[in-house]
Amino acid sequence: QDDEGPSYSRNGADTCLACHGEDEAVITVFRTPHGVPTDPRSPFGQGQLQCEACHGPGGDHAGRVRRGQERPAMPHFATGSAASVAEDNAMCLGCHAGSAGAQWHDSAHDFDEVGCADCHDVHAVHDPVQATATQPGVCFDCHKAQRAQVLKPFAHPIADGKMDCAGCHAPHGEQTAGLLARQTLNDTCFGCHAEKRGPYLWEHAPVVEDCSNCHEPHGSNHPGMLTRRGPLLCQSCHSQAGHPSVAYRDTGLADGSASQFLLGQNCLNCHSQVHGSNHPSGSRLMR
Amino acid sequence: RAQAVDTSDWNCEFCPFPDGYEADVAIGATSISDDSARLGNATGYDESGAYANVDGQGLYAGESIRLTWMAEDLGLDSRRLAIEGGRPGSFGFRLDWSELPYRLFNTTQTVYDSVGNDTLVLPSGWVPAARTQNMPGLAAALTPIDIASDRQAFGVGVDVEAVSDFDFYADFRRQQRDGIRIMGGSAFFQAALLPRVIDYETDLVDAGIRYASGPFSVSVAWFGSFFTNNAGSLTWDNPFPGFRQGRHALEPDNDFQQLSVSGTYHAGALNTVVAFTAANGRGEQDANLLPYTIDSGIVAPGLPRATADAEVDTTNLALSITSRPFPKARVRLNYRYDERDNGTPQAMWQRVVVDSVLAPGSDANIPYSYERSVLALDASYRLFDGVRIAGGYERRDIDRDFQEVAEQAEDTGYGQLWWQPTPALELRLKGGTARREPERYDEAFAVLNGQNPLLRKYHLAYRYREFAEAMLAFAPTELPVSASLMAYWADDSYSRSELGLLAGDSLTLAGDLSWAASERVSLYLHVSEEGIDAEQAGSTLFAAPNWTARHDDDYTAIGAGVRIRDIGAKFDVTFDYSSASGESEIIVDGPGAGPSEFPELESQYDDLRLTLSYRSSPRLAWTLEVRYQLFETEDWALEGLAPATARSLLSLGAAPWDEDVLAVGLGIRYRIGSAAEE
Repeated sequence: QDDEGPSYSRNGADTCLACHGEDEAVITVFRTPHGVPTDPRSPFGQGQLQCEACHGPGGDHAGRVRRGQERPAMPHFATGSAASVAEDNAMCLGCHAGSAGAQWHDSAHDFDEVGCADCHDVHAVHDPVQATATQPGVCFDCHKAQRAQVLKPFAHPIADGKMDCAGCHAPHGEQTAGLLARQTLNDTCFGCHAEKRGPYLWEHAPVVEDCSNCHEPHGSNHPGMLTRRGPLLCQSCHSQAGHPSVAYRDTGLADGSASQFLLGQNCLNCHSQVHGSNHPSGSRLMR
Repeated sequence: RAQAVDTSDWNCEFCPFPDGYEADVAIGATSISDDSARLGNATGYDESGAYANVDGQGLYAGESIRLTWMAEDLGLDSRRLAIEGGRPGSFGFRLDWSELPYRLFNTTQTVYDSVGNDTLVLPSGWVPAARTQNMPGLAAALTPIDIASDRQAFGVGVDVEAVSDFDFYADFRRQQRDGIRIMGGSAFFQAALLPRVIDYETDLVDAGIRYASGPFSVSVAWFGSFFTNNAGSLTWDNPFPGFRQGRHALEPDNDFQQLSVSGTYHAGALNTVVAFTAANGRGEQDANLLPYTIDSGIVAPGLPRATADAEVDTTNLALSITSRPFPKARVRLNYRYDERDNGTPQAMWQRVVVDSVLAPGSDANIPYSYERSVLALDASYRLFDGVRIAGGYERRDIDRDFQEVAEQAEDTGYGQLWWQPTPALELRLKGGTARREPERYDEAFAVLNGQNPLLRKYHLAYRYREFAEAMLAFAPTELPVSASLMAYWADDSYSRSELGLLAGDSLTLAGDLSWAASERVSLYLHVSEEGIDAEQAGSTLFAAPNWTARHDDDYTAIGAGVRIRDIGAKFDVTFDYSSASGESEIIVDGPGAGPSEFPELESQYDDLRLTLSYRSSPRLAWTLEVRYQLFETEDWALEGLAPATARSLLSLGAAPWDEDVLAVGLGIRYRIGSAAEE
């Protein structure tokens, strides 16, 4: 035993399971990657510290207590533990520093003192944050605005359980704005929307710079997850004489003059190639 | 740490390691009451009728091999099958097959034959007319066509820990998407909405090697994206008078490859971590170009080149230093640089306007490039137990080519307070400002491109932003209740813009409550409200503004539910309710007339799910699931817009959604293997 630090239990996991062996929420860890005895990196691998690899030395917790005395808490990941979030996270990073934790210290999550255990349930056979259908529910515990936004009429299929937050974001840290999974926002979007990558012969300047100039990726009231309704969105940047500068009024609705500049896909009825055109005659993004 | 502890007697005799195979398999059938694009979107329940379905998950744990699998919705168009396995600590593999249906409209109809091909043909004998109402063959030609597509993805990946401290990974993913989407086809004074074909294929590769030892970790990675469009163009018969056929260039094949190096170093001094990333990429697109027009009767000069010859180089650099000089303090310095260098050669191009007329003059293609750098410093300090303060400053610079603003800088500052007076109560407040300033808005360049010189494009314009966040959380350990409230506010002022976006603000309020009423009963409630307002101005006279518009979005979402477990030790019940309603109000004022208030754009979504489970044995459970979904919208862009409603727009007649669907499902779940308690 380490003479300098707190003592470990006498028999490792067997000591713990003497009390916790009937607790289903505890023993499920043996059906997870952390509970693989043949994996030398696993807490239950040969020579590893088993439960105490993560929870810290359990000698005090497992030792005798006097009548009326409160049983000391386990040092980490336990009710009553005095460890800080950073100290708890350090237990995880002790093994995961090279993979999940490589960029952790740079992340907004670390800066905001989010604990690994705030998101991960390492005893669960199926950790909810690692499954597409259940992951957003974990993220939404903190990101409450996004929980509502994914229910908007035009949104990625997150509420349907078919897309998760990690499809776009790297929650363990990436040196990108918004913890995006790729180097830039557009690179991230191109992961599923590669057809928009180009480069096109005729580009649309705000498109190549930032998809979020026009789109709200967490959901919108407007088709295409646009930030605002056309033609007003387009008219925020296009003021050329003629139809781009016209103030389209409600008289142009279907029960009025039925304006092609207002109805259907409004500007896109003609300028359908807003993401870029590869047609030699496509400089106006119409071909 | 383990080496310092004598674990020779730690035999783990009572550790219930799995040995062998265990799985849950569910088989069921669901009845859907009505056709529905909304419910069908992402689920596959798009038509009324009965659907058989299979779900499941399993685990095999051998002496040294571990294998897990997951099957989801195998009977639906949203199916997914994933398998992961390997020898933990040595190698791992993963296979993934998934499909995702995208369903937009099932109320649409088209006059075109051969939908799904790259040529849209009008019925024989079609008589063009300048107005849709005067097209004699229109009504008879209309046939239903769903606007829908399906995405299939197949992935395979491996992890290998070949040598100590090194591990290698490689993932390959192929995505295919096929179906129909809407594309506008301009006939100059008229337009037709076309049901265009989608036939995409994308291969994505991520591969790399990681080294981690002691304080160092380094990763070298390669990313490749290879997109193929099997429909390179769309040719369509013009239903209006004028040209006979039009042709669009569809999305061209493109490749992108990127090599990156990243790493971290944990320095003992001041608890400092240094991290860096350097990535260099190249994107290429060299598709054969179409001629200026499909109309061989129009005499146009030859193309400057036969292929696009387009290429972009990207550079991404990042460096961060994070330090805890002492336990109460933390400092983080970040620098990031992103460059997109478009090396596509410029040329002068003629233009045949909508396959009809050779326009005078010529245009040069513009290869947009930018350089963006961000320098940020954040610091936090724990004043005393339960109180932490933080602040930060960020400087963002963007340099661009060929746009009104060549150089632009934004300075952002914020302050933050955490207060946790008791372990059960936490308050967070954050507020700050950001000022974005273009060095110069080049009005001459704007005029050269036909823009009103008073316009300021909102992503290039001067902007002053104020923002604030607040969060209050209450989670006492001694009570079975937790609650939290959050608020986000931002206010943007484009005070130096006369035309274009003038102002925008947003306010989001969100709250949630969860209550474990007993060991078996739990309830939750989420409520959120959001408002996004914008104001802009325009000019019909190519002069000072003579009209304004307000665009206000409001949105409310509610989620509530209850879980009851082990009723009579046999039954579980869950009930979930989600409701979301959106309203958008648009008012255009002027020119020379009073306010024009558009009908509100409205959406209403309600979803109720009741699930009843009955465990007839430790291995067998029966499930009854009842789901009711309502989705209604009011949208003036679609309302009443039949194919012949707008005289100069041949639409597809897409109607606003008005769907309510009842789904009733019955299933059994059987547990195989050691996980079940006999």
